[in-house]
Amino acid sequence: MIKFIWKRILISIPVLLGVILITFIMLNVVPGDPIALMMREHIKPDVVARVRAQMHLDDPAYIRFFRYVWDAMHGDFGTSYKLMRPVSELLYKAFPNTLVLTLSAAFVAWIVGIPAGILSAVKKYSFIDNFFMGFALMGVSMPVFWAGLLMQYIFSLKLGWLPVSGFNGWKYVIMPAIVLGWSSAGIVARLTRSSLLEVMRNDYIRTARAKGLQEIFVLFGHALKNSLLPVVTVMAIQVATLLSGAVITESIFGVPGIGRITVSAIQSRDMPLLQGAVVFTTFLVIIGNIIADVLYSYLDPRIKYN
Amino acid sequence: MIKLEDKQMLSDQELSEKADLSGDTFLNELWYAIRKNKMAMAGGIVIILLILIALFASYISPYDPYHVDLDMQLQKPSAEHWLGTDEFGRDLLTRIMFGTRISLAIGLIPTILSLFIGTILGMVSGYYGKRTDFIIMRIADVVLAFPELLLAMVIMYTLGANILNIFIALSLVRWARVARVVRAQTMSIKEKEYVEASRAIGVKNWIIMFRHILPNCLSSLIVLFTLDIPNAILSEASLSFLGIGAQPPAASWGLMISRGKEYLFSAPWVAISPGIAILLIVLAFNYLGDGLRDALDPYMKQ
Amino acid sequence: MYKKHLLLVLAVIFAFSFIFTGCSNKAEEAGNQAANPDMMLKVALIVEPPTADVQLTTEEYGIPLNCFDRLVEAETIEPGKSDLVPGLAEKWDISADGLVYTFHLRKGVKFHNGEEFKADDVLYTFDRMLDPATKALNTDFLDMIAGAKDRMDGKADSVSGLKVIDDYTIEITLEKPFAPFLANIATPAGSIYNRKATTAAGTDFGLKPELTIGTGPFVFKSWTLNDQMLIVSNKDYFKGAPKLEGVIFKIVPDPETQRMQFETGELDVFDCDNARSQIPYFEGSEKWKAHIVSGPRVGLHYYCINESIKPLDDVRVRKALQMAIDRETLLEKLFYGKGIIANGIMPIGLVGHNPGLEKISYDPVKAKALLAEAGYPDGFSMVISQITDRPASLKMNEAIQSMLAEVGIKLEIQQMDSASWFATRLEGKLPSYYSDWSADFNDPDNFMYTFFYANNSVARSFNYNNQEVSDKLVSARAMTVPEERYKLYQELERQIVLEDAAWIPLFSLDHLFVVQPKVKNFQVSWNGWSNMPYKGITIEP
Repeated sequence: MIKFIWKRILISIPVLLGVILITFIMLNVVPGDPIALMMREHIKPDVVARVRAQMHLDDPAYIRFFRYVWDAMHGDFGTSYKLMRPVSELLYKAFPNTLVLTLSAAFVAWIVGIPAGILSAVKKYSFIDNFFMGFALMGVSMPVFWAGLLMQYIFSLKLGWLPVSGFNGWKYVIMPAIVLGWSSAGIVARLTRSSLLEVMRNDYIRTARAKGLQEIFVLFGHALKNSLLPVVTVMAIQVATLLSGAVITESIFGVPGIGRITVSAIQSRDMPLLQGAVVFTTFLVIIGNIIADVLYSYLDPRIKYN
Repeated sequence: MIKLEDKQMLSDQELSEKADLSGDTFLNELWYAIRKNKMAMAGGIVIILLILIALFASYISPYDPYHVDLDMQLQKPSAEHWLGTDEFGRDLLTRIMFGTRISLAIGLIPTILSLFIGTILGMVSGYYGKRTDFIIMRIADVVLAFPELLLAMVIMYTLGANILNIFIALSLVRWARVARVVRAQTMSIKEKEYVEASRAIGVKNWIIMFRHILPNCLSSLIVLFTLDIPNAILSEASLSFLGIGAQPPAASWGLMISRGKEYLFSAPWVAISPGIAILLIVLAFNYLGDGLRDALDPYMKQ
Repeated sequence: MYKKHLLLVLAVIFAFSFIFTGCSNKAEEAGNQAANPDMMLKVALIVEPPTADVQLTTEEYGIPLNCFDRLVEAETIEPGKSDLVPGLAEKWDISADGLVYTFHLRKGVKFHNGEEFKADDVLYTFDRMLDPATKALNTDFLDMIAGAKDRMDGKADSVSGLKVIDDYTIEITLEKPFAPFLANIATPAGSIYNRKATTAAGTDFGLKPELTIGTGPFVFKSWTLNDQMLIVSNKDYFKGAPKLEGVIFKIVPDPETQRMQFETGELDVFDCDNARSQIPYFEGSEKWKAHIVSGPRVGLHYYCINESIKPLDDVRVRKALQMAIDRETLLEKLFYGKGIIANGIMPIGLVGHNPGLEKISYDPVKAKALLAEAGYPDGFSMVISQITDRPASLKMNEAIQSMLAEVGIKLEIQQMDSASWFATRLEGKLPSYYSDWSADFNDPDNFMYTFFYANNSVARSFNYNNQEVSDKLVSARAMTVPEERYKLYQELERQIVLEDAAWIPLFSLDHLFVVQPKVKNFQVSWNGWSNMPYKGITIEP
């Protein structure tokens, strides 16, 4: 098992390097002088030239790339052009907020999705089934930002129950978590339902039933265990989707997390910050995928990875 | 409780019918299939309607989508403006109609493009193997490591924010998954006897790829196609919402929502109606896709 | 079984991390509770400053103007006139050749950390600006000091022109005489830091309030990113503690929100620059009209013409452009008449301003004739570039568009994002544009040299190709006799604006603020900037 984990990590390193390379190429190819943007109206060409040299902005690209990777390995992701603080400091401060949001959303997805899926499977073709599956489809089809705006309109502006934006306590987590988790919940619900149905058709279930076991025990004792397997793996892979979705959710709800940093870095052309945020987010996704793989092999003794 | 001895008399089918308490009877299944089909058909009809709106928007829309009328800012929905007006006095119904063009185009074109690129690369990769395979798959790995929206955002940053670049960005993001799937299928089909036979005869590689391998990938491709269209529409809406997609004064639904959110309290219809449009088109594609995938199911199981 | 464990573990992680963030946020909030918020002036900022370190930012001087002092300060002595008064320096001597400045510093001035202000701090601060490791953006305010270039190029590890004579005397020698030197160091870029505190703070200086130490009337207390900054009054300020308890700078990027917050009392000052369209409302409102404070601005709005783009390289075409614009109407319609037409580069209120400079008349007929003479009887097409999402600029450009159409010029308004706009301008390739400039310091050099010295003219996309003028602008910096100097500047101004038509002056606008009734003694600063010192203001609730 340990060997398996190590191998997965080892394979991921070149992928991460590839990610850094591609990000670096794309972001540094963009024309435009960051110093000009910093100095705005007070532009003075000789100062620009001097500061560019001091910041090594005119070094050949490959030197800058290696310098970036070297610094990154020491935890130095450069300094934000706009906020003038170390990128790592900004990311470090923002990460817990994104983590809370993502975990809350995952929590919502589980709490809502799995029971919904189970109920739908058990009460197949009933109104409950149709309702939940419709709900799930809505979650997948609705633009996250629009759902967020709707919730803000209803729960903040009209009803005044919840705060519009910010991140200062549990009340602020509710709407973003629901908005972010809704589509995940939808996917989880649909998957749980179909997976459970699939398993329930199996022979050993029929045997259990034929043995005279009550339906409940059939469900929880046998069927659930195996049907949840694909759901668990999908959940772990959902890390990527949740992190992507967090970008928008954080922007609407003013959550000071990595997603919002990414968006404002793009809007202010803050290349070092954007680079750091993208690399960091992708790093998290890669870790998430490794955890997913490990979980999967851990939970299903039939799978042997070598 | 049914006694064990009695059970041995019953056939498998009857047993499952009696023992299965989840209502999985023939009638229920039929009803479900018809309803699913109906939803899929409804989805299809909606899409056709939207295509018609997109094509004939200039003729059927009541106003010019870019016409600014500062006296009519933020008007409530009324007889003159069925959906109201936005902060520049532009008619919302018109802008939503014109937005259909953008959404449909973004839904279809990048998806087709990425399918095209991904299929070719996937087939080449799976067929020729070795170094070609290694290189292409490593690149695909890196592309797939990025969360989709994030990669699209970075590409938009590099290329600049406008609608044309969204096409490019979305195509570049999605080809990798297609390539992976096609590669896997290619590799399994490649081993089949009739393919080996063809090669032995001396049939050219690309003919083999297009005659034998491609048709077998078709069902997976159709599945990917139906899944990707709604995704692409949502991605463009998200990018435009964040300000890094379509630029004003384009009539992109995502952009309209982003502009409208400032007036959420005073004029909620500005932000809400484009969202309903997005929901509608994505639901339609999802229902249609669901139906298509179900219809293909027996083929997939082959 | 395992799945249940997993769920539990995840739930625990989730609960912990969330309590954690909840706690840390509460702590920050508590720290922001100030002594008495009612005696604090609440103002809004559209843009959050990147840092309070003046050496690293060229704009956003709200904090530095209030938390730091300079050797010399610029102050309004009467409306439209300002002068340089002693700041941290009590008096100064200038040598006859204009090269050596000896500053006699005030004794007993304390920094916010209790350290006494000494000449060594001045040495440290100016050296820090010129130190290549700082990567300072405002070096041009000090680069005329002898030895500055070597220091900036890394060839020396100290500045030869900076000499500490004793604890309260410092002698600064310049490379060449530089008439505006005193005015230069009176700008925010000349703010004085404490050697001990600033070295200890390292890269956190200007970012962490508790490490950002100055001598000013206010102490930088706290900064919540994207939210607000707080400065509190310095009871030991050497010119007397301010009556205000402090100032809260709220970051409110949206002008609509600012106005709403002002109306509900959440803000004490509303800067009408942020929403000029509101001026008639405030002037007409019974509630507010008595609380509008207005002051002249030492600055002007202008149009830049990029001479490298045909047919703007033809002086007749440029003159036609000048004459095709009805500046009176623009001032009246877009700015409610709150200003005065500008005819040159040096605005009213600046020393060297030429009140006798001939007006550019609004004459579309003559403009058309000139265009015909230049070979464009039916006009031509040109592009004006602006940054996206700037409704005020768009209004101006659209108004110009219709005026130019009258003489047959088809104007296309091109919008681009700010990064591209500034980068393209630096390359000299930006199509013509509308902008404004207000004085950093009270000297013609701050206007003339900034725009028309050859390198600067390219970096601002004027591409004004007159080497003689450029050379004269350089030599004017070193002239020591004021009258001769100003005369030279006025000649150059006439050359640039009237003969070469390289610049389209528009107007100098007054700066209007609306204040809450309880705010007293609010005055517009000498140059009319939005960033201003607040120490003279009082609140009477």
